[in-house]
Amino acid sequence: MTSERLLDELASGLTPVRCRSAGRDGLIVGGLAVSELTLFLMMGLARPDMHHAMGEMSFWWKLATLGLLTVLAVTTAVRSFDPAVSPSRGLRWAAALAVIALLIGWGIDASHHASRPLLARLEWREGVNCLAWMVLLSLPMLAALAVLMRRGAPTHRRGSAMAAGLGAAAWGAFVFFFACGHDDPLYIVFWYGLGCVLVGLAGRTLLPFVARW
Amino acid sequence: MQNDEADQWGAWMAAAQGGHGGTYRRLLGEIRTWLLRYFARRLPPAQVEDAVQETLIAIHEKRHTYDPARPFRPWLAAVARYKWIDRLRAMGRDRTEELPDAIGVEGHESEVTSAVLLRDLIARLKPAQQQAIRLVKLDGYSVEEASARTGQSPSLVKVNIHRGLKQLAVIVQEVPDDE
Repeated sequence: MTSERLLDELASGLTPVRCRSAGRDGLIVGGLAVSELTLFLMMGLARPDMHHAMGEMSFWWKLATLGLLTVLAVTTAVRSFDPAVSPSRGLRWAAALAVIALLIGWGIDASHHASRPLLARLEWREGVNCLAWMVLLSLPMLAALAVLMRRGAPTHRRGSAMAAGLGAAAWGAFVFFFACGHDDPLYIVFWYGLGCVLVGLAGRTLLPFVARW
Repeated sequence: MQNDEADQWGAWMAAAQGGHGGTYRRLLGEIRTWLLRYFARRLPPAQVEDAVQETLIAIHEKRHTYDPARPFRPWLAAVARYKWIDRLRAMGRDRTEELPDAIGVEGHESEVTSAVLLRDLIARLKPAQQQAIRLVKLDGYSVEEASARTGQSPSLVKVNIHRGLKQLAVIVQEVPDDE
């Protein structure tokens, strides 16, 4: 087909479109997040000793890390669905945040939990259960970001997919945090970290195919 | 591109998003000229027209992602560069494709510019990848001939071309667009 004919065809079949807006996408993701968290808490799955746990430093460390990581990664992903926006800077900030969180966790660990044997602290059976929950809870966010990514036009598909995967993973972990009775930093770093890596890699692997354009 | 022209294109795209076909046709015509220039500097001549058409279709399908409150040029350049990288990756997958002999012929300014730009980019790769890509993709040798000249096995030549072009796409994605 000649270019002239192509241009005629594109112009003749033109229909009005609704402009994509990162703000609107953010609201959709935020709405989904609030709904999921509300539903999860309404199911009575929150840990019974929440009031006591709030006195622990590791509680706030876990809450702040997962919350910030979710906001940072999801914002990076949604912004990068615009063709002119790269996710690189956001991903670098997310990596820096993860390193800082690890260092703080190490500090908390050294002052509270260092006396028990390492393998016993990982509590494999419960850990695998936590991991499964985190992955499950991250799926709605991952699906929502996949739809938004497909509707957008990411030009750094792998980076956008990585940010989306990481954001969904951190969100799944954040929701599960309200049910998880473990405050040991080693347990949290290992199992929550593993959950984030698994979902992040799944997003990084699968989403570029979904969002090809 | 002049700033006035870019502003005008942004306004035209905003009108196109509202469904104004005439304005859109005019915009696509001007964008096509810009894209021809853009790809002529970056691709072998035989691929330029296909790349332009692919990019025009992409612009059409993704026109809702342009925000009229922001400048048009970065949006257009990002879409064009994305399609350019796609083309580079496709060159990596299609191992039989070679640049035509027209590259380097006197008087073919765009072909020469394209070859120079590609050679500059290729210079950032590992030496073995550079050799394989130069011989097969730029100089027109077969994989077997390149293998005999470089001492690499034929499969290693193919691997080096594939990995080199993949790396090239990464390099292109990281460098700022000066178009």
